[in-house]
Amino acid sequence: MSLFFQTLISGLSLGSIYALIALGYTMVYGIAKMLNFAHGDVIMIGAYSVIVTVMSLNLPPVIAILASILFCALLGVTIEFLAYKPLRKASPLAVLITAIGVSYFLQNIAQLIFGTQQKAFPKIIDLPGIRISGVEINGITLITLAVTAIIMIALTLFINKTKVGKAMRAVSEDKEAAELMGISTNRTISVTFAIGSALAAVASIFYGATYTYIKPTTGSMPGIKAFTAAVFGGIGSIPGAMLGGIMLGVIEQYSKAYISTTMSDAIVFAVLIIVLLVKPTGLLGKKISEKV
Amino acid sequence: MLKVDNLNVYYGKIHALKDINFEVKEHEIVALIGANGAGKSTTLKTISGMLRSSTGSITFGNEDISHIESYKLITKGLAHVPEGRRVFLQMTVEENLEMGAYTNPRYIKEGLEDVYKRFPRLLHRRNQIAGTLSGGEQQMLAMGRALMSQPKLLMLDEPSMGLAPILVDQIFDIVKELHEQGTTILLVEQNAGKALEIADRAYVLESGRIVLSGTGAELAQSEEIKKAYLGG
Repeated sequence: MSLFFQTLISGLSLGSIYALIALGYTMVYGIAKMLNFAHGDVIMIGAYSVIVTVMSLNLPPVIAILASILFCALLGVTIEFLAYKPLRKASPLAVLITAIGVSYFLQNIAQLIFGTQQKAFPKIIDLPGIRISGVEINGITLITLAVTAIIMIALTLFINKTKVGKAMRAVSEDKEAAELMGISTNRTISVTFAIGSALAAVASIFYGATYTYIKPTTGSMPGIKAFTAAVFGGIGSIPGAMLGGIMLGVIEQYSKAYISTTMSDAIVFAVLIIVLLVKPTGLLGKKISEKV
Repeated sequence: MLKVDNLNVYYGKIHALKDINFEVKEHEIVALIGANGAGKSTTLKTISGMLRSSTGSITFGNEDISHIESYKLITKGLAHVPEGRRVFLQMTVEENLEMGAYTNPRYIKEGLEDVYKRFPRLLHRRNQIAGTLSGGEQQMLAMGRALMSQPKLLMLDEPSMGLAPILVDQIFDIVKELHEQGTTILLVEQNAGKALEIADRAYVLESGRIVLSGTGAELAQSEEIKKAYLGG
């Protein structure tokens, strides 16, 4: 029984990281209708920026974390402005290939600056764990779960209750109509990239703290998993990305614990395929038919 | 108030608008009528900056708006209810209306009251998702949403499209009422009879060109119009 709960906790924790990254994918897709395959690499940049600020600049962890979040938000907005905005009217394929190009660009920049060897991620989260009837939850997991829950609630309120959040939903549904309301699509896209990349920075801190090493290709795998999670939950849907991320993490950890460590990724993707066969729009993806 | 001068718009190689000139004066209802594909919607889209003319100019008030970004027009007092209503289907009725006041947030409370008074059906459905509304209700919502910006000029693109006759009458009554209360209106309609009934002046478009113009009453009497658009 304790293995069951232990696995559940580690699944929720891994799933939280996937969910935070998946939110960036799904929000950008919802607003800009593009798959930003460079999103995973923003995580890697976020983790390196923490390494630089903590190890070289000796900044206190809280400042380092905030700096990393801010830096990634700016990076996301800059990437969008330089690489994607000029392609606003180009074919989706051109945008997709550009995103892959940006991904390699970021990886190579990181290699150039930090080398190909992995670097240790500083121990910035130092919290005692707890033990509940045989199930051990370490400090990093606790923080990951708590912060992710807070972020999800805050983001949901932001999207549903604030003016900017509602404008984002309007743009995601109908750009032209939103512009007629006076909402600038370009500004909304920038805000979306900023939020998505900031969430990726938060994910990078949990990822770094959990896996303790970072290298230039670190962002690829969580990036792909999170993209899968976003599709799993229904791409474009914010609750879908949250649910998809969490479920992906939980399924992955249970597969590892009960079936096979080496097969876990195959099982995760098999579940995705089955879900998409049954419900092509993903778990929470919706399609409202238009009335004429 | 609005002056459109020598517009030429192309969709790729297709020459959709040819030397379009017309004017809407303050407190007028001006109708653009014509068959499907004549260029009526294209004209409105060009005025709101969704399409660009390769020649000429569009003047609103005293300002040349031909090159202004689409989203800035509403702050100038120009609201456009697009063809097919284009309400935000996944947002509630009230959220849709709030979006209408995006650039005019201080008016939200008063604006909601005003819109609900004009369209009582929207009040009953204020918390309903717009995608669940009927076509007529969606048209009311689209018009209400545009009114939330307190426009000087309201451009309506086919407000009667796909609606039952009784709803068409209702929509036209509301257009008349808005006009009486001082809103200037540019109306695009396929329903020429109805449009000419309420229009001060009208222009007839045919394959991207203005072929006729006159007061609503004149055009309603014209043999050509009767034959082409009013069914004999």
